[in-house]
Amino acid sequence: MPAGRVLGVVLIALVIAALFNSEAVVRAGEGMKPGPTRDIVLSIGRPLDDVAGALGFHLPREGLDLAFGHDPKTASGTELEEGSTAILRRNRRKTREQTYAQPAAGRPLDVLVTGDSEADFVGQRLIDQAPPGLLDIDTAARNGTGLTNPAFFNWELNAQQEMASRDPDAVVMAIGGNDGFNVEAGGVLYGPQDPEWQTEYARRVAVVARVLSGEGKRPVYWVPPPTARDDEFNAIYGSQNRAVEQAARAVPGLRYVDIYNTINGGEYSDDLKIDGRRVLARQPDGVHFTRDGAVLPTRLLLRAMARDYPALGKGSRG
Amino acid sequence: MIAAAAAIARINAVSFPTIEFAAFFVVVFVLSWALMPHPRAWRPFILVASYVFYGWIDWRWVLLLISSSLVNTVAAQVIARSPSQSTRKHALIAAVCFDLGLLCVFKYFGFFVSEFDDALDSIGLGSPLPLVQIVLPIGISFFTFQAISYVVDVYRGDWRASSLGDVAILQAFFPHLVAGPIVRAKELIPQLRTPRDPRAVFAGPGLFLIAGGLIKKTVVADELARRVVDPVFNDPVAHSGAEVLLAIYGFAAQIYCDFSGYTDMAIGLALLLGFQLPQNFNRPYLAVSLQDFWRRWHMTLSRWLRDYLYIPLGGSRHGRRKTYRNLMITMLLGGLWHGASWTFMIWGGIHGGALSIERWGRERLPGFRLPRWLAWFVIFNVVCLAWVFFRSPDLATAFDMLGRVGAAGPAPLVTLPMVFLTVAAIAVQSVPRDFWRRAEAWLVARPVAPQGVALGLMLVVADAAVGQQGVAPFIYFQF
Repeated sequence: MPAGRVLGVVLIALVIAALFNSEAVVRAGEGMKPGPTRDIVLSIGRPLDDVAGALGFHLPREGLDLAFGHDPKTASGTELEEGSTAILRRNRRKTREQTYAQPAAGRPLDVLVTGDSEADFVGQRLIDQAPPGLLDIDTAARNGTGLTNPAFFNWELNAQQEMASRDPDAVVMAIGGNDGFNVEAGGVLYGPQDPEWQTEYARRVAVVARVLSGEGKRPVYWVPPPTARDDEFNAIYGSQNRAVEQAARAVPGLRYVDIYNTINGGEYSDDLKIDGRRVLARQPDGVHFTRDGAVLPTRLLLRAMARDYPALGKGSRG
Repeated sequence: MIAAAAAIARINAVSFPTIEFAAFFVVVFVLSWALMPHPRAWRPFILVASYVFYGWIDWRWVLLLISSSLVNTVAAQVIARSPSQSTRKHALIAAVCFDLGLLCVFKYFGFFVSEFDDALDSIGLGSPLPLVQIVLPIGISFFTFQAISYVVDVYRGDWRASSLGDVAILQAFFPHLVAGPIVRAKELIPQLRTPRDPRAVFAGPGLFLIAGGLIKKTVVADELARRVVDPVFNDPVAHSGAEVLLAIYGFAAQIYCDFSGYTDMAIGLALLLGFQLPQNFNRPYLAVSLQDFWRRWHMTLSRWLRDYLYIPLGGSRHGRRKTYRNLMITMLLGGLWHGASWTFMIWGGIHGGALSIERWGRERLPGFRLPRWLAWFVIFNVVCLAWVFFRSPDLATAFDMLGRVGAAGPAPLVTLPMVFLTVAAIAVQSVPRDFWRRAEAWLVARPVAPQGVALGLMLVVADAAVGQQGVAPFIYFQF
């Protein structure tokens, strides 16, 4: 076949795919790092999506999503995007002692470990660090997601779907590594360096945590990022940690798990000593833990969980 | 934007099923065919395009690739020009040491430092060595093996020394750069020297391979990984025997669809640019012996191991015992090629041991033949047993998996769609090749618009299959 005809086939295929998948094109653009590629994809994708939506091209894709069992992960008008900071006011129920059904042999605690890519190793290590038989762990990491980019992935919506389908006894949320985007509050854009950004982030944590906890029905252990090698990231991560701490004071069931100030005294280090053995604890990006290094945040997490479930503190390793 | 997401975004850019790659390929396709009649312009163009593709992840890796091309070109030129056998040999050794040195530094150094440090610590000498954090450049194992085969072929007189430009394109040509197939000089360089005919592009097989590879990856491999394989391998003791068995067979299907899907797309993309790359998979799960399996699975690696390791070790030329030893060494090093880990070593050991037993049986019991179905069943299960070690993050997980095979209990992960995908991925390999050829011919005979619409709808299905999560990185990117 002549090259010109091949080009025709390829271009037609791409146009068809872009028309029927216009929402996915926009989502992919939203998920890219800020820069010319993202700008180009969004400047083409958004008008294309408007046209495709008006012409009904979204319908086949929606049908396919249904067939493959994929729920929509973005929506407009959610509380995550816009809402009142009243949710951060100290809640009366928060001051009451919360008790939960305790795990026992034969009746393990059903735990969902979710969040961004950091959730992966935390979920894996929780399995081998917890006392045997007390936890039944499911891990659902949503790589590249965060609370500051709901146009790419809306965590409020995802939390509603996950809680409806899984109804776990407890939730671990390890997230924050992708949250460097500006946020809008009261019609004004704030960057991570602004105090308002921290308040808005705390509000978003509270919104998602409230859904995850089922209004206090189950505990949510929120694990914001640890210290990173890069100081620029540390400024954001520090702010996030303070925001989660603030939200945890208000939302019933929400527990802040501090791995930012506690691991290695809050100082970043590539390697750490764990159980007398020095291991490479961080991945080359200076953010993620390695499989070996993930043992430390997992143990801090288990310690936090043991306050609600004392049995977890008895037989856990390390 | 934070580093983690940025890194994922950059790795996605070298993954074929992405918007960035689609845009990159359309531009390269147009310019490549426009420049094809002018080799002096086309060659630098395709090289720069390949470097842009690779440098998108990390531009420093391009420097590594260039240095590999440079060193191997110089060594090959010395080998080709020097009348002294000793000089030729030294040049070969220097080049191979450089190539293996690259692999050792980037792939194994961290592992050996950590093991050595532990050993010193265990005898009370503390942990004196700094633990090094090294980013493994994607594709380094592939372009290094190509470099070794090139320089050895020149030494053996199987191929003449080529120009720096040819060697650089041989190593960097973007369709095969990050996960193969492992291409030899004699397979690609002659094609680089002859302008391709823009009136006769192998579009049928090219488009067919791309669409098929995409479906294999998104509909089969990623679905199986997400819904069965990853949950079970992450926590084997929490799952019943039925789930563990489905995860083991599911992984066999997943890795086949993931890796062969990638190479199908690589071969298809190269075909659209006018170049033919060697086949890498030939219905491997139909194999009725281990030897047969290795002639069908990752064919370009197995022939590399045969020609540049097994035969130089002596092959089967020095008696039975040495043959078994050579088989074992070759497969153990094949395992080590995938990574510095005991699980890969055991994977290689199972294959090496089974190949030796098979050879012993052929020699000692020449008239004995298992019924074909039984031979298939045994070989498929030996391969799956080895996959358990390949997939497990550590030996404890692998043994947990095997220990749970007979465990009773509920099996919510064993669903009809997952069983169907597993069986279909294996069974589809028995569809006669003629069927696919006829389908290709039928597709190419259609006018441009229906072809484009069919391919476009396939893309829609593939994207819908992966959903919001996006395409998972290809398994072989880590090697």
